[in-house]
Amino acid sequence: MNTKLKVSEISKIYPGCVANDKVSLEFGSGRIYALLGENGAGKSTLVKILSGVVKPDEGQVFLNNEIIKLNSPLEAKKNNIGMVFQHFNLFETLSVFENLSIDSDKNDEDLRVLVNDILKKYNFKIDLDIPVLNLSAGQKQKVEIIRCLIRNPKVLIMDEPTSVLTEQETDDLFISLKQFSKDGILIIYITHKLKEVLSLCDEVAVMRKGKVVSVSNTIDEKIESLANKMVGENLNTIKKKINNFKNSEEILKISNLNFKSDDPYETNLNNLNLSLKKGECLGIAGISGNGQNELFQILSGEIITEGTSIMFRNKEIGKLNPRERREYLMAFSPEDRISQAAVPELKIYENVALNNFKSSNFFEKGLVNEKKIKEHAKKILSNFAVNTDNVELKSQFLSGGNLQKLIIGRELITSPELLVCFNPTWGLDVGAINYIHETLIQINEQGKSSILISTDNDELLKLSDHICVIYKGKLSKIMNADTVTAEKLGILMGGGSID
Amino acid sequence: MEVQLIKIEKRNDVSRSIYFLTPVLAIFLTLFGGGIIFYILGFNPIEALKFFFITPISDLYGLSELLVKATPLCLIAIGLSFCFKSNNWNIGAEGQLIFGGIVGGGVALLFYDHNGFYVLPIIILSGAIGGMLFAMIPAILKTYFNTNEILVSLMLVYVAKLLLDYLVVGPWSNPEGFNFPETRQFSESARMPILFDGLRIHAGIFITLITVFLSWLILYKTYLGFQIKVSGLSLKTAKYAGFKGKTMIIIVFMISGACAGLAGVGEITGPIGQLHRNISPDYGFTAIIVAFLGRLNPVGIIFASLIVALTYLGAETAQIFLQVPKYTGQVFQGMILFFLLGSDYLLFFKIKFLSLKKNEL
Repeated sequence: MNTKLKVSEISKIYPGCVANDKVSLEFGSGRIYALLGENGAGKSTLVKILSGVVKPDEGQVFLNNEIIKLNSPLEAKKNNIGMVFQHFNLFETLSVFENLSIDSDKNDEDLRVLVNDILKKYNFKIDLDIPVLNLSAGQKQKVEIIRCLIRNPKVLIMDEPTSVLTEQETDDLFISLKQFSKDGILIIYITHKLKEVLSLCDEVAVMRKGKVVSVSNTIDEKIESLANKMVGENLNTIKKKINNFKNSEEILKISNLNFKSDDPYETNLNNLNLSLKKGECLGIAGISGNGQNELFQILSGEIITEGTSIMFRNKEIGKLNPRERREYLMAFSPEDRISQAAVPELKIYENVALNNFKSSNFFEKGLVNEKKIKEHAKKILSNFAVNTDNVELKSQFLSGGNLQKLIIGRELITSPELLVCFNPTWGLDVGAINYIHETLIQINEQGKSSILISTDNDELLKLSDHICVIYKGKLSKIMNADTVTAEKLGILMGGGSID
Repeated sequence: MEVQLIKIEKRNDVSRSIYFLTPVLAIFLTLFGGGIIFYILGFNPIEALKFFFITPISDLYGLSELLVKATPLCLIAIGLSFCFKSNNWNIGAEGQLIFGGIVGGGVALLFYDHNGFYVLPIIILSGAIGGMLFAMIPAILKTYFNTNEILVSLMLVYVAKLLLDYLVVGPWSNPEGFNFPETRQFSESARMPILFDGLRIHAGIFITLITVFLSWLILYKTYLGFQIKVSGLSLKTAKYAGFKGKTMIIIVFMISGACAGLAGVGEITGPIGQLHRNISPDYGFTAIIVAFLGRLNPVGIIFASLIVALTYLGAETAQIFLQVPKYTGQVFQGMILFFLLGSDYLLFFKIKFLSLKKNEL
């Protein structure tokens, strides 16, 4: 039986962000569809709408030419739409079979027969009676898939399924997905990995900034063309600042830096090399989770490395902690503004005191100099247009934009020589984004340097003088921002190589 | 078929007054719960609660006893608040108290035939150092070997208890004591001065009050206090701000251990006057309840220590007048903690009831 799924004019607007802008797509069974896009392109929102997790503001979903209402995940299940999320929803201490039976209204005997049939049919090797926590990531994913298959799905949506898999498991997954497709299940595959699109999918829809920018057959596409579409072709039209640092001195140099983590969920960094001049902005692009977090912590001193691997203003700083690095006029704005850069339960002036080092004189002879901190905080509030003048206010009452202004202001008011920021504008509204961008351009113009780690390519191209890409813990070569094309960026971000 | 589902949602903001009122609610719930228990045991609940909470402090002697019990509780709880505020779970204050008592007691025995103003300060100081050193064991193991401080500090309690046992039975037992498991009586110069004739309240209360004041100063007015506060709220932020995490862990344990050691030495030089097996009726554990009931706030802890001290006295009166075991006091302490945690849950979360049809599941 043929299945046709159609989304028509779907829009979803979040405060300050259009996640889906009149998205229309058609899918038919027997084919595998890729939904390709960067972080924040809107693909997750679209599949959340299809799986009933999010309600669209406008637009309809048609299944076999009938309008279906998807107000909850239950209704998606009733309409035979199955979804496997990137993060598994399994009870670790229950057995595989118990996990499956929770979700099913069949009695245990019938269910076991059915599951065994599925296992045999698709050649899955999973012991049904061992606890889920003993399974590998690939096997857990199979349990999630079986949970969908039990309901005879017409549509199966996979959200970035390979991010947790080994290469062997990825190959296995692709074989199964092709088999499902042959059996008439419509498959929608969400990813930002270009090679996977070409090797697995029949048709690819590319999304960018909430809009569908292209739909094509993968036979007609190459890695380069997809990269171009994913990142956007007219990026070079964005007006850039004039760079005047050409002849200035080197301020930061990282050579042969390695980081190996004990934590399997962290990314190891391999042989990083980079250099930065006074007044320069170096942008570091990449899909999130490729080592940006670790790189930021190495720059900020939260992760300590060999002394010689990082030179800042001709001093070895690799062994210094963040507070000591601030002494040398470095400043840091982490990605997580709510639980790292600031503490919501603290008052504004207390959060300002977090940027302390010997010369800030916030603490004299071990005592809090409350007066000095408050004066300083007042200055930040007015200089950086934070919409309150009450330094006693708890930070949790600030909006994201105002909190970020406070953080950037706190970091900049000490006139640092280098500001390292990590996704400084995520989740902010346009006004706040512009304000932060202007501020970052301004510090370069004053001869101060910055490193911008960001997953927003427009932001990177707007602000950076040089750009490199981080992929699986490795940095690409550093490119002049003028010569960076969307194609190059896209290929590097998707794990390809150029030249 | 209809199924009731309970949904729990986080509250957005907690007002400061409610934050300090829930401990009061917990106390009232404890009284209510205690009333029910007495009723089940066949007593008139009002009468029993009166014996428990009013009779013990209806005369001057009772009030003095209340302060005698509250003195060590408050002191230990204040020390613990340093640990708890910075997310270090020292639950071995009882061991630190005993070890402080052993060291202070050892010094007191050394001076048993000396007299002079200098004896008591030396004993007090050595007790504080003893507790401090004992608390540094879990701290150092935590910072350098990544052990769990809850387990280590708890297990060390039994080490200290057994060591005390060995000392009072063996090498330190009173040569003229007919083999009773106790040491000599300390000399007059080794005893805390008594404040009023005929009452047991002693100068240790001043040590406690001074410690409370110093703690307030450190917690709210110093860089160390700021670091403790930030680390307790977000370890990620503490790391980002460049606080020296390991040093801080050791410092808070040292403060906490010193306070417990002081409490121990206060007991043996105050009301007890010698070392024996039971120098503390679990003050070190009960102080954990005091610390949380007082919201880890120095002033709050003063009030909490008085209330919890009352459960010790109440248990004794109840034993005499109602013939119930004195462990009833521990039941009340347990109930206070239980209801406090319960009402805290409501402080941060709200509960919603939803009903769903089974086939919608």
